Amino acid sequence: MKGLRMVSREGLCVGVMLLWCVGAGAQEKPKPVKIKASAVEVDMIHSDEIKLPAEFQVSMYEDLIRQLEKKGGFAHVYREGDRNAANAPDLVILRSSVTGFKEGSQRKREVTTVAGETEIKIHCVFSDKDGKTLLEADVTGKVRFFGGNLRATYDFAKATTKIAHDNFSAST
Amino acid sequence: MFLLRCLVAAAAVTGSSFAQQAQTPAGDAPVKVVVVKGLSGVKDNTGGTLAIGDGSMHFAHEGIKSDLATRSIEDVVTGDDSQRVIRGTAGTLSWFAPYGAGRFLALFRTKLDTVTIKYRDADGGLHGAIFTMPVGQAAVIKKDLLAQGAQTTVPEGEAKSAATTPDSKEKQ
Repeated sequence: MKGLRMVSREGLCVGVMLLWCVGAGAQEKPKPVKIKASAVEVDMIHSDEIKLPAEFQVSMYEDLIRQLEKKGGFAHVYREGDRNAANAPDLVILRSSVTGFKEGSQRKREVTTVAGETEIKIHCVFSDKDGKTLLEADVTGKVRFFGGNLRATYDFAKATTKIAHDNFSAST
Repeated sequence: MFLLRCLVAAAAVTGSSFAQQAQTPAGDAPVKVVVVKGLSGVKDNTGGTLAIGDGSMHFAHEGIKSDLATRSIEDVVTGDDSQRVIRGTAGTLSWFAPYGAGRFLALFRTKLDTVTIKYRDADGGLHGAIFTMPVGQAAVIKKDLLAQGAQTTVPEGEAKSAATTPDSKEKQ
């Protein structure tokens, strides 16, 4: 009986250690190496193939700049055409083009809850001054339940800023 | 029956007066607008008055004033939108009303005009701003801005079609 109890206790200890090792292994995932970029220049959103209302285009651009200034981790965020961007070291240029757009309806969302979703799909390209692509990503901005249609642009801006924050750093 | 006739007559008078208000040209008189986002020095969703004259666009809200040279405006686009009749705190609280009253109230919406502008700051940086205003005012504001030196990518004849997107029927 005593031997059995010893065995079960040892088993428990081994189990706990195994779990700890697995957890530690999961935590030690290699972090992606961040690209050094002290400043970002945001270009106006392009929508050559998809017909996008002007208010969505402007709202995406403004939300993106605001989010990058708040949480992007860059020392400077420049707007398209800003002359000061030319002197910025490690400048990254962000170009976004709309690949899909479905304008929903706030009324439908509020009345039915399940219908009327607004969705914007954007292809984002981060490149350096010479035009060399550093990172590409497809981002989707959505508004499903609450808020006006323009809230989808905020969703897009938040997602893009997270990508920028995870892949670029001013200090590395 | 008498009461019904009175109601019909009152509705007709109110409707015609609203129609007259909507068609009244703004001229140089300030127009009540809401800055949805993007105007330098003005918080999002700030209501105020917009006046155009002397080569600039003046926005005023209590102590806040923002002037923008109309020559710096690269694009003016008009559009349309709608908003809930009951909004703000009352609108939020209405969601907790029994028997789906909140959803029912969400059906009632008022139409709005939108004006979206793109302009350059002193450093050449591109900005965008979105305004909403009562129906009928957007075209007048656009006309005034163009007369004062602003530019547009959508000439007046195409303005309607520019605001129309493939899913614009679902907009509200």
